Amino acid sequence: MAFFEVSSAKKTTDLKSEYDVIIIGGGPAGITASIYAIQAGLEPLVIEKALEGGQMNNTDKIENWPGFSSISGVDLSEKMAEHAQDHNVKITNAEVVDVKPGKMKTVILDNGKEIKARVLIIATGSNPKKLGVPGEEKYSGKGISYCATCDGHFFRDKHVAVVGGGNSALDEALYLAKIVKKITVVQNLPDLTADKMLQKRIRETGITDFIYNTIVKEVKGNDKLDKLLLKNVKTDEETELDVDGAFVFIGMNPNTKFLKEKVELNDYGYIITNDHCETNIKGIYSVGDVREKEVRQIVTAAADGAIALLDASKRYFQ
Amino acid sequence: MAEQLLNKDVRKQVVEILGNMDGEVKLLLFVKDKDCDFCDTVASLLDELTEVGEKVTFEKHNIDSEVAKNYNINDAPAIVLLTPEGKDKGVRFYGIPSGHEFGTLLQDIVSFSKGALSGISEESQKKIAEIDKDVDIKVFITPTCPYCPKAVITAHNIAILNDRITASMIEANEFKELSMKYGVSSVPHIVINDSVEFVGAYPEEQFVNEVLKAV
Repeated sequence: MAFFEVSSAKKTTDLKSEYDVIIIGGGPAGITASIYAIQAGLEPLVIEKALEGGQMNNTDKIENWPGFSSISGVDLSEKMAEHAQDHNVKITNAEVVDVKPGKMKTVILDNGKEIKARVLIIATGSNPKKLGVPGEEKYSGKGISYCATCDGHFFRDKHVAVVGGGNSALDEALYLAKIVKKITVVQNLPDLTADKMLQKRIRETGITDFIYNTIVKEVKGNDKLDKLLLKNVKTDEETELDVDGAFVFIGMNPNTKFLKEKVELNDYGYIITNDHCETNIKGIYSVGDVREKEVRQIVTAAADGAIALLDASKRYFQ
Repeated sequence: MAEQLLNKDVRKQVVEILGNMDGEVKLLLFVKDKDCDFCDTVASLLDELTEVGEKVTFEKHNIDSEVAKNYNINDAPAIVLLTPEGKDKGVRFYGIPSGHEFGTLLQDIVSFSKGALSGISEESQKKIAEIDKDVDIKVFITPTCPYCPKAVITAHNIAILNDRITASMIEANEFKELSMKYGVSSVPHIVINDSVEFVGAYPEEQFVNEVLKAV
């Protein structure tokens, strides 16, 4: 990441009341859809609540996006945003709080503005799942964190736990390994589920140890978190782990709260679509991690963006 | 010539962004002579900004100065933005506005050049304008946090609306003692008048409600 990032200053504040396509979320799925919209001769608006690139901004290294053998998540995010803006895509900074379906779809922003579009593309992604155990709320922001790039530096030369053994857990652990003294990975399964290459790298840090078949049962501390109560799921044995912080990456929840009863969701809250990424409501599409699907990767998110936009352009703008 | 902080690519983008400015914006930088690791860095940064943006000027003052007292600045490095009319709107940056927060500074500069219009909803504007007590909003951030600019911008947009409200970005790594005092270990961490605290980039209305709770 560059020492000085300018991307957050390149947003549009001057909004029109109507666009051809409104894209909620500026991650790889939304950005791709916006680029295809421009190519289709449409006027898109991307609404992003934090930074373009979405969760890529929390990813230390990306090594499976063709064209870059290795690139930081922040850099790829910035490149994608620049690409869209070079094509004259308008991106605005706001959070969508409500959506009204209809022939023209209306989105309501957290700053009270209402904007309409013929087609709406939901690319809101997902956010880290919580542990759901006692003490988690209390120590959230007091030792429990869900973002290593945000909070890692508060744990310089400290001992932290990383809860989870998948790709995001180990990627964040790798970021933390540059800062902290020791990492203990707590995984509920007998093995890590992250890519083999990532596993190798995290082992090579030499400061990481692993506890398998184990879940966090409770978060304990005084003013701040100071230990985790762990439980072995095979033996039911309980142990305490002294740590200064815990970073939780046990999976994701889709960002679909604002859509309840507006479009069809599955039991986990992911949006159900057809093969063209269209939801049960005509003219509302869903792309990327927020959509019910098997593989959630940057490339598949981008692919969704293209599929949705090309379908929408054919169906609603010809 | 000393090495420049802003590389060619960033400079080009800064020129473009500051090209949207209307009036002149003055930045007041407050420094101290001792125990300030980053005062010189911020001074160099603002120097470069004034080179790149012809409508940006800056003045350096010591925190022991009368000027610092007038603006109620007790720590350094601190930046205060002034509108083209020279008005203080309560917008502050403590520490280097680096990483993602550099964009926040640029956004504020452009907004101030246009008279510091707040982007928040009319309903929220009304609620904030009615506050008749002093409000101090601290937003602790780290430069690598992608959610933090939203929190800082929202706080600044609130401060702009009422002369009694001050909103400060505080770089948590640089202001360790202050961060410790408030137990900051996740960002953005927001403290309002030492009575209301929350973690996260809340949507605007929710942020405004937290401010109202504190008064």
